[in-house]
Amino acid sequence: MTARLALDGLTVNHPDGVAVDNASFACAAGEVVALMGANGAGKSSLIRAVAGADPVASGRVRLDGEDVTALRLEQRVRTGIGWCPEGRRLFGGLTVAETLDVAATGLARDRSRAADRMYALFPILAERRGAVAWTLSGGQQQMLAIARAVIADPKVVLLDEPSIGLAPVVLDDVFAAIRRLAESGAAVVLAEQVIPRSLAIADRAIVLRRGVIVLDVPTARIDAGVVASAMLDGGSGGA
Amino acid sequence: MIEATVQLLATALALGSAYALTALGFVLIINAVGAVNFAHGDLVMAGGFVAVALSLLLPEGLPVPGLILLPAVLLTMAVGGAALAAVAYAPLRRSPPVSVFISTIAVGLILQHAISLGAGPQPRVGPSLVGDGLVDLLGAALSYQQLATIAVAAVLCLAVHTLLNRTRFGRQLRAAAQDPEMARACGIDLRITIGATFALAGALAGGAGLLLSNQYFVTPTDGAMFMLKAYVATVIGGWGRIWGAAVAALCIAVFEVLVAAAVSYLVAEMLLYLGVLALLMLRPQGLFGEAEGRRA
Repeated sequence: MTARLALDGLTVNHPDGVAVDNASFACAAGEVVALMGANGAGKSSLIRAVAGADPVASGRVRLDGEDVTALRLEQRVRTGIGWCPEGRRLFGGLTVAETLDVAATGLARDRSRAADRMYALFPILAERRGAVAWTLSGGQQQMLAIARAVIADPKVVLLDEPSIGLAPVVLDDVFAAIRRLAESGAAVVLAEQVIPRSLAIADRAIVLRRGVIVLDVPTARIDAGVVASAMLDGGSGGA
Repeated sequence: MIEATVQLLATALALGSAYALTALGFVLIINAVGAVNFAHGDLVMAGGFVAVALSLLLPEGLPVPGLILLPAVLLTMAVGGAALAAVAYAPLRRSPPVSVFISTIAVGLILQHAISLGAGPQPRVGPSLVGDGLVDLLGAALSYQQLATIAVAAVLCLAVHTLLNRTRFGRQLRAAAQDPEMARACGIDLRITIGATFALAGALAGGAGLLLSNQYFVTPTDGAMFMLKAYVATVIGGWGRIWGAAVAALCIAVFEVLVAAAVSYLVAEMLLYLGVLALLMLRPQGLFGEAEGRRA
């Protein structure tokens, strides 16, 4: 079976050097891959390159076997990639409903049906649909950012540190929603630093350290301590 | 006394509604590309000349010459705006904003000199919107032209508001202005939104040019003055706030007209720019506050 998303030897350069070095992994439909790493390990660089926001120096990104590396961001998302960036980056002046309408595809009727699906996934957004994005609470903003990324029903969902700035009780909702995305058939790549929660919803954990993948294992076979020490330089230390 | 006040207010509102259209287009471009279009004033001037040129093609004695020409002027200047984006913005979109300042200044000068060469440097009179005539209001005689100018500008503002808030394309324009990269991540092609924004700005500038060309005439060197008014309106209204700039433009005209009537036009201009300097020092975010998000 072809993987939904496959990275072959992806290298991404940064103004100060190599951000991601020769990374290869695959993510199947229905699978959550937790991409773990400390600050500056290259998680965002990798996610941005897969989304098409930044160019790759070498390597390939394939979606259902199709090479999409040459496609620009706006073209690549149309082939079925949903990107929820670090820091949410909502359209501050647009309302919840307007944001969803912009991100959805198809005719007005299809878009409003897609928005209804999002309201079912995140009921709090339904209550706030007329609210302007910057007036939402942190958790509501994160849910809107995720809804914006998944409303067009992407095959691959890229989530970049959705936990940042959220209270623990809100995190439970957000992570449960992320798991549901995979269950509805998407391949989910979750870049995160919070270890136990990410491992709890992920099928596989990939650890990135200084741009290099140092660990790629099913979550059933590891515990948080292993991931934490792999994330740290030198490979020692605890969570 | 009342007649005089009503008269002055009508004059101020008519001038102000043309300024508001000018400022609206100016801010739309600032929001869309984070750069100032210094050719904007010249687009207003060009719109005036397009109106003058087209009016020569119309048969004499039409009751509403300006109104008939309005769609053609809007369309011509929309094409002009899109061409400006292609020539002065698109090739430089990855360069620092200052290169766009310079390229738009260059295009503005080219436009000014080309029109000066073609039409001569003397002032021209554009077509009146709905013909000549006066309406009596509280004893004041208001011209059809003034009232029609206010009405046309109001309709155009309403159309822009509807486009931006009630259509998906307008929502896409706003999304692209707020975060271009995330707009692309929603599948929006920025070349289209930016081209459309320049076209819209060009059309609004053209509309303003047509509205001003009858009562105030139009001269090839007028661009700088329109540009300055739009810039000042943007500073007063809050950088990036489109309706703030439009309201500020209206206020500028009211201020100018009232002070010019009480003292003189030169004093009005001087006080206006003194006020802007004071505002920049005391409240740089503008009277209505800066739009949330980044600054150009």
